[in-house]
Amino acid sequence: MNPYLWFATAALFFCLSGCFYHFFRLLEYGKPPDLSKPLGEIKPAVRYALTRAMDPRKKESAYLHLPTYTAGIVYHIGSFISMAVFILIWLRFVQFGPSRFFLSAFLFISALCGAGILIKRIVKKELRNLSNPDDYISNILVTCVHAITAVTLIRFSLFPVYFVTAGILLFYIPLGKIRHTVYFFAARYQLGVFYGRRGVWPPK
Amino acid sequence: MDTLTDDRIKKGLSVFGKRMDGKLFSHLNSCVHCGLCAESCIYYLAEPKGKFIPAVKVDLISSVYKSYLTFTGKIAPWLVGARKLEEKTVSEMIDLFYGACTLCGRCVPHCSIGVDISFLVRKGREMLARMGYVPQTLQNTINTALSTGNNMGISDQEITETLKWLEDDLRFEVNDEDARIPLNEKGKKILYTLNPREPKFFPLSVSAMAKIFHTAVESWTLSTRMYDVTNYAYYSSNPDDAAVITNRLFDEMNNLEAKTCVLAECGHGSRAFRWEGPNYIGKAYPFEVITSVELLANYIQEGRISVDPGRITEPVTLHDPCNLARTGGIWKEQRFILNRCVQNFVEMTPNGIDNLCCGGGGGQLAMSEYNERRMKIGKLKFEQIRQTGAKIVVTPCHNCVDQLTQLNVQYKLGIQIKTVAEIVGDAIITDKKPKQSSDEKPLNFVLNNE
Repeated sequence: MNPYLWFATAALFFCLSGCFYHFFRLLEYGKPPDLSKPLGEIKPAVRYALTRAMDPRKKESAYLHLPTYTAGIVYHIGSFISMAVFILIWLRFVQFGPSRFFLSAFLFISALCGAGILIKRIVKKELRNLSNPDDYISNILVTCVHAITAVTLIRFSLFPVYFVTAGILLFYIPLGKIRHTVYFFAARYQLGVFYGRRGVWPPK
Repeated sequence: MDTLTDDRIKKGLSVFGKRMDGKLFSHLNSCVHCGLCAESCIYYLAEPKGKFIPAVKVDLISSVYKSYLTFTGKIAPWLVGARKLEEKTVSEMIDLFYGACTLCGRCVPHCSIGVDISFLVRKGREMLARMGYVPQTLQNTINTALSTGNNMGISDQEITETLKWLEDDLRFEVNDEDARIPLNEKGKKILYTLNPREPKFFPLSVSAMAKIFHTAVESWTLSTRMYDVTNYAYYSSNPDDAAVITNRLFDEMNNLEAKTCVLAECGHGSRAFRWEGPNYIGKAYPFEVITSVELLANYIQEGRISVDPGRITEPVTLHDPCNLARTGGIWKEQRFILNRCVQNFVEMTPNGIDNLCCGGGGGQLAMSEYNERRMKIGKLKFEQIRQTGAKIVVTPCHNCVDQLTQLNVQYKLGIQIKTVAEIVGDAIITDKKPKQSSDEKPLNFVLNNE
């Protein structure tokens, strides 16, 4: 195995270990006990929290900021595609066929979305004041991976650069804010439990 | 601000220590600093300054958490914005957690991720409370409740005398010499609670409920020993003080052997006793707890009282208390009531679980040092009311009544502010015999599609 692949492999295992560590700590802390008598049901509320509660027509963070919201959605889809492509390449599957042009184009667009989000964070004073280096580094790393994946799908000779870039991101994921990948689902679950018990979600 | 000692720091950080649970852990680690919560916050809408973005409050508490409890926060604090608990940080925490948040929770369902921002603000308040940094104005109200049994310091003699003259008034109003306001009677179906502001400043809302109970032929009582529905320690987020106050009402329910505790119209009081209370005292209640709004809706639905909407013809709008609607699940009931009691009910926009806070929540009314901010954010509610053209604003919360009253004066709205009980009391037909109701039948309001 060449050293770049070793590096990416080590990074992948570090990333998975780190994310599992966060996940198991979550499980270890457990759900806080709630002795109040519920007014509603938790399961439908948790389902609602993970689905219809995120309808952009319902959330001001979406419909009041449609360009940013759309860029964010495309960016996240690009991240999932990048991750899937990485796993496939890591498993030595490189026969993407003509679909690689479509994937490459999408990742190029998602990289542009990431860059746009980064520029907004730099240019808007309120966002700048809210941000710390982790916010910028996370955005830059993910955007770079989208871009390099887009190029590598067309030019396989860039594998060394690709594995190093992806490896750096994978090492970083459990250490910075990108670990919200794990906590996002926990937060939505907790919201479902909270609003479900109180009969707020799903809406009557 | 009193000196920040190592002992205080240790007490503050105990919120993250053995008191950490999966919910707190999730929310501390979820915010991505997108800042898209800004326009969901009344403080930011009233004054678009960066510090009022809800994510800033999340960052404040999570930056302290990261500093002491995360790997990256410990070895590279500059990377993740980790902050030590120092005087500057504590000062900012006091200003933002107590002075720039009503705990309305409107930002929560609108957050991109779903961070429970108001929960984190309460945790931040808990840190400050454990360190002894509750604003003195708020702590004074709590101390009054702890030492006298109610947050207004009303004596036993005063409350008994007030309730006695209200009883005389009730007899005259319903033309029945046998009409009563039962006091301290054991074995009743309902123990009704009061916001101390009612006997002190708003006795008409007590009269209204007494009239309704009389007309519904209800088995009920008040307690002169412990009637206070409020729990201002919910606002300070001092769980020890909150537990003392909760236990008093819990004990009184057991002393009087009542079956159901009916919470007077009070948003935070309803939340504190019904939802937080069992967790403050570490035990589930052996009795039922409902709000008076649910009870009134039940009475109308079951035919135990009859109402005439023709008596209230002015346009009426409704302000939903955040702790009752958005975090209490009670917003259909008050609409059911108003649709039957008034001729012309006009909704505000937004409303229900997406309502705008009036600005009086979170203990703001007790903390006079933040009055200017409170009245500024209240302007949003003033605009909402003005757009409805309503002459009467109904709200099932006495803190909201207080805030709306002050807004009415400041912004010259020219409206009347009433509780739901007062509206029902105005619309009720007292000489109509109620339908028979079994003592065993629960007092639930059954939601139909309206």
